[in-house]
Amino acid sequence: MTFTGMLLDLLSGLVVSIEIFVFTLMLALPFGLVVALGRMSRNPLVSAGFRLYISVVRGTPLMLQILFVYFAPYYLFGCSLARYPRLLATVLAFSLNYAAYFAEIYRGGIQSIEAGQWEAAKALGFSAGQTFRLVVLPQTIKRVIPAIGNEVITLVKDTSLAFTIAVTEMFTLAKQLSSANTTMMPLVAAGVFYYVFNYIVAFAMERLERRFAYYR
Amino acid sequence: MKKLVLMMAACVAACLFTGCDKADDGKMKLVVGFDADFPPYGFKSGSEYKGFDLDLAREVCVRRGWTFVANPINWDAKDMELNSGSISCIWNGFTMQGREAGYTWSEPYVDNSQVVLVKTGSPIKTLKDLAGKKVGVQTDTPVQKELAGKGDKKAVAALGKTFTLIVMPNYNQAVMDLDSGAVDAVALDIGVAKRKMADKPGKFEMLKEIVMTETYGIGFKKGNTQLRDEVQATLKEMVKDGTMAKIAAAYGIEGNALILK
Repeated sequence: MTFTGMLLDLLSGLVVSIEIFVFTLMLALPFGLVVALGRMSRNPLVSAGFRLYISVVRGTPLMLQILFVYFAPYYLFGCSLARYPRLLATVLAFSLNYAAYFAEIYRGGIQSIEAGQWEAAKALGFSAGQTFRLVVLPQTIKRVIPAIGNEVITLVKDTSLAFTIAVTEMFTLAKQLSSANTTMMPLVAAGVFYYVFNYIVAFAMERLERRFAYYR
Repeated sequence: MKKLVLMMAACVAACLFTGCDKADDGKMKLVVGFDADFPPYGFKSGSEYKGFDLDLAREVCVRRGWTFVANPINWDAKDMELNSGSISCIWNGFTMQGREAGYTWSEPYVDNSQVVLVKTGSPIKTLKDLAGKKVGVQTDTPVQKELAGKGDKKAVAALGKTFTLIVMPNYNQAVMDLDSGAVDAVALDIGVAKRKMADKPGKFEMLKEIVMTETYGIGFKKGNTQLRDEVQATLKEMVKDGTMAKIAAAYGIEGNALILK
């Protein structure tokens, strides 16, 4: 097998990895905020529910969660999986998992905003909702970018767990090519691809951070 | 903000759900679950999956007018995949021994010996020489079960006690470990061993003594005798007209290993 053929194959796997990455972020970033707000709710029932959710998700392996999300409809309810795309299950599992981590990062950011700002906004006649949207949230985003960046980079590498339910992403393809041709080359190439992918992600995060640093 | 979130969710849902309906042309679909780290039975070749077993399955589908889908799976999740119906069968150098009760099996079609692969020039010449060495095996294979003393072959269990068993996720990794000296030998299927020796000429050699013999069958979900009978009938046709022998030859599998009549 030619070297370029191998790279093309890996690129087709990279497309799947990018799909998982992009869809997961699209779902988990907003859902994480919902979880964070739920976790901080004054209603003890709501807060306990989200606390349990975060605790379970962070306390069990992502690989197990992927298996659960894919196979639970069949094993718990007897539904056939014929019309349940594997990629959908993967993205759902990743999103549920990452939302829990994002939620705790958001919570840290939101709670780091001084109480004085809430008081000042109130004195200026802002409602609680307005204060959150217009005063607290913009500052929170600034503060959480570095921590979110960590998670986003981890997500790139975690996409390789998708093969747990037979989604053939880049790392799986690299292993298959390596087996078929008894060579380490595809694994090395996959490593380079991951690094480049993450370099771009880190670069984008840095640009984002600079855009939000308007008071410095 | 809310609108944006809703739009994003809708977009994600649309993208993910549209992918699932394309194989609905009314044709019966045979989804073959296999371990793609397992040449020559199933592996990646160019942009598609090939191998002795996959070529057999593809030919069965052609003859029956079915749609053939080769689905590489995570070997550890194979039973969940099969029982939940996400794959139709496991067809991938699938050893029957030790798994008799777990599946509805086809008749055995390949006689497969378990051999020991060592580096060329290794002091290990017989099974006895393995004493005190490190031996790699693939996870969840019958030879691993027997060597670990969890099967019913006493001689193999006794042999397993003489060395340290290292369990690997796949054969390729086991052979990489052998190559790098992390293990002294690997116990594996004769077909895989020959393929690895052919890929790296002069690097590995095979012990003459074999560890145990096994047979390959096609595993269907327990109780799915209808699909089993259909696949098996077509497979027997392919034995009669010589197609199976031809496919076997293309992958270096010897004619006398084919046992389906």
